Amino acid sequence: MIVLAILLLPLVAAVLCWISAIGRRAAAPITMMTCLILFALSARVVFRVIAFGKVVAVPDWIEVDALGALILLLVATVGVMACLYSLGYMARTTHDKSLLYHYYGNLNLFIFSMLAVPVVVGPSVTWLAVEFTTLLSVLLVGFESSREALEAAWKYAILTLTGASIALFGFLVLFWAMRQAGGGNYTWAGLESVAPHLSPVLLKTAYLAILVGFGTKVGLVPLHTWLPDAHSQAPTPVCALLSGVETTAVLYVILRLMPIAHITLGNGAERWALIFGLLSVGVAAFLLIQVHDYKRLFAYSTVEHMGIILTAVGLGGAAAHYGAMYQILSHALTKSLCFFAAGAVLMATGTQEIASVRALMRTSPLAGSALLLGGLAISGAPPFAVFLGEFAILRAGINQGHYLAVALLAVFLVVAFFGILFHVNRMVLGQSDEKMATLPRIPLTCSLTLFAAAFPVVALGLYVPGFLHQLLIRAAAIIGG
Amino acid sequence: MIARIAFNFAQVVVVMLFAPLLAGTVNRLKEMVQSERGPSVFQPYRDIWKLFHKDEIVSEQSSWIFRFTPFVVFVTPVFVTLLIPVLTSYPLFFAFMGDMLGGGFVLALGGFFATLAAVDTGNPYGPMGASRTRLVGFLAEPVFMIVFFTVSFVAGSTIPYIVQQHWVSPIANFFEPTHVLVMLAFFMLILAEGGRIPVDNPSGHFELAMIDESKGLEYSGPGAALMMWGGEMKFFVLICIFLNVLVTPWGLARDISVHELVLAIPLVLIKVLVFALTLVAVECSLAKLRLFRIGEFLGAAFVISVVAMTTWVFAI
Amino acid sequence: MPHGTQPDSIVVQLNALAGGLFLLSTFGMVATRQVQGCMRFFILQSVFLASSAFLLGLQPLSWHLIAVAIINLINKPILIPWLLKRTVSGEVYARREITQVLNIPISLLVALGLTMGAYFFTSPLLRFAEGSSAVVNLPIGLATLLLGAFTLTVRREAVPQLLGLLSMENGAFFASIAIAPELHLFVELVIAFDVLIAVFVIGVLTRAIHEHIGTTDVGSLAVLKEESSR
Repeated sequence: MIVLAILLLPLVAAVLCWISAIGRRAAAPITMMTCLILFALSARVVFRVIAFGKVVAVPDWIEVDALGALILLLVATVGVMACLYSLGYMARTTHDKSLLYHYYGNLNLFIFSMLAVPVVVGPSVTWLAVEFTTLLSVLLVGFESSREALEAAWKYAILTLTGASIALFGFLVLFWAMRQAGGGNYTWAGLESVAPHLSPVLLKTAYLAILVGFGTKVGLVPLHTWLPDAHSQAPTPVCALLSGVETTAVLYVILRLMPIAHITLGNGAERWALIFGLLSVGVAAFLLIQVHDYKRLFAYSTVEHMGIILTAVGLGGAAAHYGAMYQILSHALTKSLCFFAAGAVLMATGTQEIASVRALMRTSPLAGSALLLGGLAISGAPPFAVFLGEFAILRAGINQGHYLAVALLAVFLVVAFFGILFHVNRMVLGQSDEKMATLPRIPLTCSLTLFAAAFPVVALGLYVPGFLHQLLIRAAAIIGG
Repeated sequence: MIARIAFNFAQVVVVMLFAPLLAGTVNRLKEMVQSERGPSVFQPYRDIWKLFHKDEIVSEQSSWIFRFTPFVVFVTPVFVTLLIPVLTSYPLFFAFMGDMLGGGFVLALGGFFATLAAVDTGNPYGPMGASRTRLVGFLAEPVFMIVFFTVSFVAGSTIPYIVQQHWVSPIANFFEPTHVLVMLAFFMLILAEGGRIPVDNPSGHFELAMIDESKGLEYSGPGAALMMWGGEMKFFVLICIFLNVLVTPWGLARDISVHELVLAIPLVLIKVLVFALTLVAVECSLAKLRLFRIGEFLGAAFVISVVAMTTWVFAI
Repeated sequence: MPHGTQPDSIVVQLNALAGGLFLLSTFGMVATRQVQGCMRFFILQSVFLASSAFLLGLQPLSWHLIAVAIINLINKPILIPWLLKRTVSGEVYARREITQVLNIPISLLVALGLTMGAYFFTSPLLRFAEGSSAVVNLPIGLATLLLGAFTLTVRREAVPQLLGLLSMENGAFFASIAIAPELHLFVELVIAFDVLIAVFVIGVLTRAIHEHIGTTDVGSLAVLKEESSR
């Protein structure tokens, strides 16, 4: 019941926002309230899942287990923060305020689609949900209607939908394989029960098609070319949603396939995940050294972290899976903080270029310290959560015996660490050359969001609450099969 | 035995007699579609008669090729007629002298001599048209080859009479994707080799734009008559191959009897008329392609024929 | 259907014919210059898709597949062109591409190579499809998928890129009617709806690009790069 409410609420809010009579006045408060309610409901679902193991809304269609609950919670959390941030950010940066209700309506639909991905259990319906996350965010990415934004939105739409078609083919072959093996329900659980009988040839084709197809959407190299553009040209709250949770939600679908592929293909499935994962981490780490734009910096960091999570799953073993889950959690929260900070910098200085921003700590202390905090956290400095996750993954990999992979991963992580901090330091610390006029103050809601986002980033590195730990362990068990 | 030889020659007579009629019909239909009266259907006969009664002027600088070519151009379609099914569905006396590939080469021989003759006289428009004809011919070669090979794969033989049997027997074979695609590719090939729109304008008078017409520019008198008649016969022969082997292998004489043979003549003519109607429809709805776009047209025909081959080889 | 066995029924042959023509219309999409031409070939392609679904639903009789055929027949040849005409301005619709990434004969040859590649990829999979019509539909579906992706890369105009995307989905669908015919009808309906939304969204985006940038030659939009010196 709760799950249905979670799905219906943003739809209702979107409809209300699009009715212009209501929307022009009340779109923002409606969306804010919806997001708060969604957050509360998701938290409740999480507790239910921890208590009962699974929440079933519509049998064989809509069910939530621990892995789904984790993604659900993350979507709701980043959603509520992005919404709060939007209140101040969009009011400040949009030229044509009368079109804002378009933005909020679209935002509601986008959040709906991301909430739908973890709760539906049929692979074909999951594919549909992922399609909708693309379609409903294209217009958000191009919202600012500048030349770069529209180009980014176009590349995003075309490349991701291409990948989705390839993944569709993979899902159809999967269905076929299931029919060949005797049938059953076309759900994740049904597939897992019939996995020992699936033909390896068919499953390998399906697995690779889905990995490549949805890998485009996750941002795996070499299909990541749209990601830096889309994730830097969108309005900042949308960037946070895209980088923080949308790529994670699609990676969730790939992770769902892993236990099935593992049973049928053995270590072959993990090997492919390892290859793609390491490739993504490596290429992203080296590419982010030469960015000119700080939002693109964080976008490349997203590619890197998706690679880390996939590598962790590829290394195999319960400890690595736990590390992957933890990394999902910490990345979502930390990346949203990074983008919120980037947005604050944008509002303060008016430029997205790294070279034009200097000595933020003096000229705009709030933005500067937020950026420094975010940069340190995302690059993997202790004592933040991302560092703990990466460390756990490296250690699990050594225990499993994959020395070469761990060595490569460590090298790439160090390169990324230096790359990100190099740019962040140039922007935040140092002397300011000219007399900077008093930079505009950041809106209140944005500052509130920055604090709200910073808090879990700092706290998670020191202490993981019991219920979260439970959730992560169960989610890891699901991936382990 | 005598009957077979006789019927073989009857085929040749039919082709010689009715080829100009086809050309006249197509011209008349085109004019009718454009709401004009157009020349009489028998006009090509009158043209051939008139040309045979005129003097011939031959350039002193030209060689034996120029004098020899009209005979080659006239005789090569006649030879091909001996090989293909025009009126009968059973092989005639000369049927095994050459297969479809041989027939194609014989027709190409005629084209080769025509090209040489066009270059022979030193007329500036001749070589230009000749080189363009060679361009079209060379681009159309792969299509010819692939179509023939596909058809041979399908029927297990390269003799047209045997190939024709394959598409007739179970009716379902008619709808095989290979068959449909081969028909389409061969139709595009006929448009190219016969010099029809969209490749070339057969009724154009502008020498700079001529491709196929230019081969007959220098001839006069009986030479011109033979070139014209030979060209019309070549077109008729191509259509017979298309219709009787690929498209509608029905309506042909089944027994060795004069009665059936005579009955087959109007049936074949009706089929040719239907083809003429289709041709006129195609010609009146398309525009002539620019010269370098002909490569794209023939490339598309090539692709279609290869897809036909692929669908057969991969056993659809 | 292997050669030498008894001749196939007429429905099976017609389905194979629909498959061949489906593939041919995809080649047409690669080879045409005009945006209108691309749209016409797409409509042809969708009609052949619907007819294949219809034929496969005839024998053995499956109302499910016939319903799928009808849904597709309404959705793709009729609704999509109408929706596209409404969201994208008429001027964009009448465009021709003069500059191309690859010239047309080479594009056609590459497309041919991709088709043969698709047949090779699917030959190990076809072991599981003996005797059913998946032997026809699966390779052609995958070939159309690859050709759609190829159309996307060689086209520079916005609307043909969108049509390439839609033809990829058509290809996946063509394979699905043979290998996954029992997919729930609700899912089929939502997929049809999703295709419409995709056309709407990309149509609106194309209109925005046309208004703000002035051209729909999206192949030439290349501002965002690392190497550009700022």
